[in-house]
Amino acid sequence: MSSSRLSSLAYLAWRAVGAQPAKRIAQEGTGAERFEKNYAAEGLVPTTDQDRKVAEAASACVACGVCEARCELMAATPHVRALGLHTAFRLYSKSTTELPWAREALRACESCKGCESACPTGVPIGRVIRQLLDRLERLPAPAKAGRREP
Amino acid sequence: MSAGAPGSVAADLLVLGGGLAGAVAALTARERGARVALVRRAPGASALSSGGLGVAWDAEALPGEALRSRRGWLESARRLAARQPEHPYAVLGEALEALPAAVAFTARELGALLAPPLERNRFLATANGAALGCALCQRGMVAGDLLEVPGKLAVADFRGHLGWDSRLVAGGLAAFAALGGPEPVALQLDLFTGPGQGLLRPHELARALEPPGAAEEAGRRLREALPAGAGAALLPPVLGLDPAARVPERLASAAGLPVAELLSDVPSVPGLRLQAALDERLRAAGVELVEGAVERAEGPGEPLLAGGREVTAATWVLATGRFTGGGVVRRGALREPVLGLPVHAGGEDPAGPRLHSRPPAALTQARCFGPQPLLAAGLRVDRDLRPLGEDGRPVHPRLLAAGAVIGGHEPAQDGTGLGVALLTGWLAGRVL
Repeated sequence: MSSSRLSSLAYLAWRAVGAQPAKRIAQEGTGAERFEKNYAAEGLVPTTDQDRKVAEAASACVACGVCEARCELMAATPHVRALGLHTAFRLYSKSTTELPWAREALRACESCKGCESACPTGVPIGRVIRQLLDRLERLPAPAKAGRREP
Repeated sequence: MSAGAPGSVAADLLVLGGGLAGAVAALTARERGARVALVRRAPGASALSSGGLGVAWDAEALPGEALRSRRGWLESARRLAARQPEHPYAVLGEALEALPAAVAFTARELGALLAPPLERNRFLATANGAALGCALCQRGMVAGDLLEVPGKLAVADFRGHLGWDSRLVAGGLAAFAALGGPEPVALQLDLFTGPGQGLLRPHELARALEPPGAAEEAGRRLREALPAGAGAALLPPVLGLDPAARVPERLASAAGLPVAELLSDVPSVPGLRLQAALDERLRAAGVELVEGAVERAEGPGEPLLAGGREVTAATWVLATGRFTGGGVVRRGALREPVLGLPVHAGGEDPAGPRLHSRPPAALTQARCFGPQPLLAAGLRVDRDLRPLGEDGRPVHPRLLAAGAVIGGHEPAQDGTGLGVALLTGWLAGRVL
């Protein structure tokens, strides 16, 4: 057995029996608290069971665009485009760090639901919007001065 | 039509599903004087239609065979039935011969939107440059029939818009020039070139072309860009949301030549037009529309609860579609959610083991043009369209199925999706 291999194994052994248990004794708070501490700066919050359920319901979307044509907000204010499903899903699939940019759009969306009855695959669009708003509430305040909310 | 408690509906025929199959069933029964109620949750997969209604195309044609010598849709459907015993066309037996009547009925009912059928298929271009044989198509697509273009075919897109590529279409259509099609020429129109307009959605483009002057302006731009000898022009399928705005006609008269739309991909403006035309026709024909998901359904004769209303009818037509429409769902196993009828995968031996609970990977195969049992999943029916139970016998004498909820065929593969919908819908509507 070569000496480099031997030293690698020794290091791994030290991590397993020494460093990690010591770290576990030293660290504070539950897993969720540590997650928030570590990832708050990146604008991430833990995914809840409810998030998962909504994401599963949302996965029925086939991007057919039928809902968009029925979006009254979109027709009335063409420059605020695709407030409905399309944006919601794009945001949902992306990092939540970009979610604050859609705050006003989602609020405008929340009270309408005109699109929900248009969805061939039965995506609960209103629920998706509410869940995104809820996720927004849970987002930590922006940590960096450079990240400005719209 | 309503009787008894407020909000309750009594009808002779109850149709479940708002796509083409359900609408044709309802309209057929209405024409025969029946009281019809139609329950629907949302637009069906018909709202995703390309604008062409495929009945069957000549799958036995040789690669180099001229378009004009290809078999028509009726003969193609007969041959498909002979080849695929599981296909609804085959299951129906003699009733397949009703296809011309069903096609004619659909074309008549939706006459404001659909052009009258020919005996042959019209060959219409897709946005990828393929040509599909369609028995019926929307009026704004007729001039794009590859066999009817006098001279060159100008294929246009909007410069800077990300939705369509005229060179892709023209490049694909060039292969059909040797088969009797026109010589395609790609060109670009300077329309919708403003800031942000390159991302406009299809229905926004369609609305933008509707106001007075807009289609005429587009036509003038097209005329300036036309190559010498052009006999017709193909444009992206966004020529107006409302057929009453007559966008293709206005554009054609300003451009000085026939203008047609490509077949659409989703998001589909032609699909929205088809759904709107179905809605309008159902209302005009006096079909009682009940909007809402089915909350309780036990079977024909028993009251059905949907959208907070009770509907009672002795005969039911299940036209709930397949995966998009929600007539077949996959939650662990393949299920029919309204009545819990048995769902069979394509190619499944009725006497053999059930495949509906196999994992998806076991019901698909890597060869993309091979049969895909998952995609052909649906109900099995007898020749009177009655769904079969686990024992192979009709579940209920007055329960029928129509459209894509009937399994045994893969619409994406054989191009018979709306053909099956209109034939089975028409037959189901005549049950009374």
